[in-house]
Amino acid sequence: MNSHRLDERLNPESSARPAAAAAWHALFWLAAANGAGILLAVLLLFPALNAGLGEWTYGRWMMVHMNLELYGWTALPMLGFLFRIYGADRGPLSAWCRPLLWAWSAALAIGTFSWLGGHSTGKLFLDWSGYARIFFCAALLALWLFLAIALYAHREVRSSVAAWAGKIGGLLVLLSVPFVIYAASASGGYPAVNPSTGGPTGASQLESSLAIVLILLMLPFGLAPRKKGRTKLLAASWAALLAEAVLCAALGRGDVSHHRPSQYLSLASLLVWIPLVPAYYSTFAWNSNTRLWRNAMLGWWAALVITGWIFFLPGVLDHFKFTDGLVGHSFVAMAGFTSSLIILVMVQLLGEGGWIFNRARAFYLWQGGVIAYILLMTIAGWREGFDPAFTIVPGALRNTLYALRLLTGVLMFLASLDWLNDCTALLRRAERKTVEHELLVGAR
Amino acid sequence: MPRAELLRSGWRGAVLVAVTYIDFLIFAQFAFLKRLDTLGLTGAHLKAVMGAMALGGILFSLLTPRFDLRPSTGIRLGLALSAAAALLALLPLSFAAGLLVALLIGAGLGILTVSLVTHLRQWTGARHPLLAVALGTGLGYFACNVPGFFAASAETQSLTAALLCIAALLIPLAPAAPALVPSSPCAAAPDPAGSASFPRVLIAFTALVWLDSAAFFIIQNTPLLKSGTWAGSTHLWLNGCIHLAAALGAVWILRRRGLTAVLATAFFALAAACLLLLHPQNAGLASLFYPAGVSLYSVALVAYPSILTPAGSARERGLRAGWLYAIAGWIGSALGIGMGQNLGHVPALFVLAAGVAIFAPQILHLARSRTRELAIVGTLALAALCVRFGVRTRKTSQPLTAIERGRQVYISEGCIHCHSQYVRPNSPDVLMWGPVEPVAEVRREQPPLIGNRRQGPDLAEVGARRSPLWLKAHLYDPRGVSGASIMPSYAFLFRDRRGNDLVAYLASLRSADQTAHLREEAAWRPAAGAMAHASAARGAQLYARYCATCHSADGATYLRWGSSFSHPPQEFTRGAYGSLDPAASPAQLTLKIARIAKFGIPGTDMPGHEYLPDTQIGSIALWLSQQIAQPNPQPSIARLTQEKNQ
Repeated sequence: MNSHRLDERLNPESSARPAAAAAWHALFWLAAANGAGILLAVLLLFPALNAGLGEWTYGRWMMVHMNLELYGWTALPMLGFLFRIYGADRGPLSAWCRPLLWAWSAALAIGTFSWLGGHSTGKLFLDWSGYARIFFCAALLALWLFLAIALYAHREVRSSVAAWAGKIGGLLVLLSVPFVIYAASASGGYPAVNPSTGGPTGASQLESSLAIVLILLMLPFGLAPRKKGRTKLLAASWAALLAEAVLCAALGRGDVSHHRPSQYLSLASLLVWIPLVPAYYSTFAWNSNTRLWRNAMLGWWAALVITGWIFFLPGVLDHFKFTDGLVGHSFVAMAGFTSSLIILVMVQLLGEGGWIFNRARAFYLWQGGVIAYILLMTIAGWREGFDPAFTIVPGALRNTLYALRLLTGVLMFLASLDWLNDCTALLRRAERKTVEHELLVGAR
Repeated sequence: MPRAELLRSGWRGAVLVAVTYIDFLIFAQFAFLKRLDTLGLTGAHLKAVMGAMALGGILFSLLTPRFDLRPSTGIRLGLALSAAAALLALLPLSFAAGLLVALLIGAGLGILTVSLVTHLRQWTGARHPLLAVALGTGLGYFACNVPGFFAASAETQSLTAALLCIAALLIPLAPAAPALVPSSPCAAAPDPAGSASFPRVLIAFTALVWLDSAAFFIIQNTPLLKSGTWAGSTHLWLNGCIHLAAALGAVWILRRRGLTAVLATAFFALAAACLLLLHPQNAGLASLFYPAGVSLYSVALVAYPSILTPAGSARERGLRAGWLYAIAGWIGSALGIGMGQNLGHVPALFVLAAGVAIFAPQILHLARSRTRELAIVGTLALAALCVRFGVRTRKTSQPLTAIERGRQVYISEGCIHCHSQYVRPNSPDVLMWGPVEPVAEVRREQPPLIGNRRQGPDLAEVGARRSPLWLKAHLYDPRGVSGASIMPSYAFLFRDRRGNDLVAYLASLRSADQTAHLREEAAWRPAAGAMAHASAARGAQLYARYCATCHSADGATYLRWGSSFSHPPQEFTRGAYGSLDPAASPAQLTLKIARIAKFGIPGTDMPGHEYLPDTQIGSIALWLSQQIAQPNPQPSIARLTQEKNQ
């Protein structure tokens, strides 16, 4: 018997170890990013504390907070997903998963010091600059190389042509990522601008939303087996995506105002995904322990699509642009929808180990914190839309809302610590099992 | 409480540790040095005297275990010598006498510390020996930070230290019970000293004492740092509380994670303090880390030789303690002070080296168990370095203008997270932050800095609304200039050219043609409803908040920047009206003031307050027009602030 087959038979959780390691790294950066978020919330209430931070003032910590949430919390679980898809989490290659995770985390650590040191590009979420930029792209290339080797190593595994095509196509797309990030982090290049607000146009919102839909439709294929039948539903979903892609292409990439009906009406086409995504996800056989987070993800998805569209409508966007209202909306996207989605992915990848995310305490701390945060920011944004001095010259109401926001941040931070703690325990248990298993294999 | 139970409670151990620390910290480290300074013993003489103290300390730390003194004899001899030294220090000492007293201080402390930790278990009680050590350490540091004691004269401090040593002589030192003198490590910690061997622990403590002493010397001898760390009673109370809390925290860590974790935590705290002290503006933050790190390792420095380390006999324990205090305590301290004296800072590389020394076992273990991880990260780091070097050498270095450099500062500081640079057409933005810039113009910037959040005003046209002087004053002290601003101070940017570059960039943010916009401003009038709700009393408060900082001889901005204004700000309340015409009708006067308050005066340092609601602008205008009609003979910012508070 092939040695890694024996490994998997004796130790069924062996392929969950890289996923658990990815989850640990993600949770570590979530806790770090949330810690930075709390610091920011405190600084907005007590700006005099900036004096104690030397040059590491509010603006620099914002870069740390935002980038760690994106490139740490939301990206690292996707590494676990890619390891699974390309079979890198099985057999002898799996020993290299953790080094790749280290490389990613090293990039984030270098990035953190780079941002705190005042190295930035001025582009939100594309703040990779100088040495950190090169290191991060090098880590992305190393990851790609690893996945390519894993795919090659599993060339003899029986798989459908579609699956092979998907993996090879995915690999080709992934190859472009380091170069795209490197290029996009340069000072040139900027997406279409909505001249009425300075923000994204309806077309670019549609484009980025469809990219998310594409990810949503592709994810289940790598995670869960399909239920029999219901092929029509799958086909309809992909057809809808194709139709919307055509619509998006037809809209073009010009600097167009959201007051144009073509912009907000085309964005309304996303509403079709509110029923479609749950229906699509119901065609896959998920682990039973994913239910909590699957429901949360679907709920947040509906909220995101609806509020995303409403916030883009003429009048509404004009009122909320540049206010806390849109900060609240971005929270629907990141802390609500994306977080629930990646936790769903992690629970599915971890299998039985998914219990770490299913404790009621941390779940409600997180969800409660997120909902309260969004409500508070919407209220603040509503007021600010009428009176810019509401934020510029803080008064009692603004300070109360911000103090409550700090509290919600603490709730989310506690939830992230709870998950990190459980994940550490899970990893330790997995490592103990590995040692026992190696002893067992040695004895045979 | 019965006497036997009282003796078992461990208070004697805590008191002895506290007295020893107080004598060492406030007398040997502080008061004696101040006395020497007063006596004119400086320079080479001072070094010789301090050398004598170190010599006494090292010699008697190493000799004490060999004397085979009875526990109580060793403690009392140490206390008596320490008390005598503290009293002798009150005399007008010559250089030779200073040498002898210093030798006596070192000898007393050497005998006292080694005797104390060798037999400490006799006096700490059996239940919570670590807690007794932590309380003694924490209270010792806390007492030294009590403002009245900390700021007292050298004579008072010396006398107090002597009296405390004499009082400690009266403590009954008979063992509470023979069973309380174990030679094995404390059972409270599962793996108290970890797997650390004595040489490893010795190296770790030496590194920590070195960092501590260097940081202490640097703070003590750098007025700017001292004012940011040990000045003011609030700061001292805070330091004392941190010391106490960290000492108690050390017990918590010791019990759960063992000695290695305490040493690691102490290192991180001290390393953070040393690195922060490289920049004086970080002294405040460093002052939080420094006491925490010191107390953490100080507890371990007593607990390790007395409780945590296994020893076959009291003599063996004493010998270890002697080596520990001689090398880590006295030599480590001397090296740290030397570093402080010669370099004036703790180099980051030294902090790194200290970390490597402390974490050597962990680093070796990591290298063995995580070879692949380190190989990947190392390879990537090296590859990235090569690429970076290649990219740098290929780039032609064209010198940037001040505006271009300022733009980079704007990006580096993350200004984009609070300030937008986009005036939305057909919105209230236009009047407040306008004029509107075409999208094509915005796109010309690489990259456009539109931003997505306004915690502060839009800056697209800030160069038209604010003068360079105002921008500079605001970057220095935002709240001093604009009342309730939540912006951090960027005074640190002006230590080099970054500050002026940023001002140049911000001043450049303006459209060439402002004519139409100025016409709009000139035609503006507060909403009728807003004027109906305006109140002169509220206007007085708002004036104190926003205007008096410049328009008053005792205003913060006026005091700091008064001589730099192109036109000195008028003191309206004293009857200087500038361009205002007192003969105008009240309605005209109010409208004119309202326009100035709202939009400022173009071409001068007078800023607008565009973001304030019409009611507030109207209130300021109303109050000010009344003041102009009836000038107040004795206006001042103090009175205005008083009115504001009322």
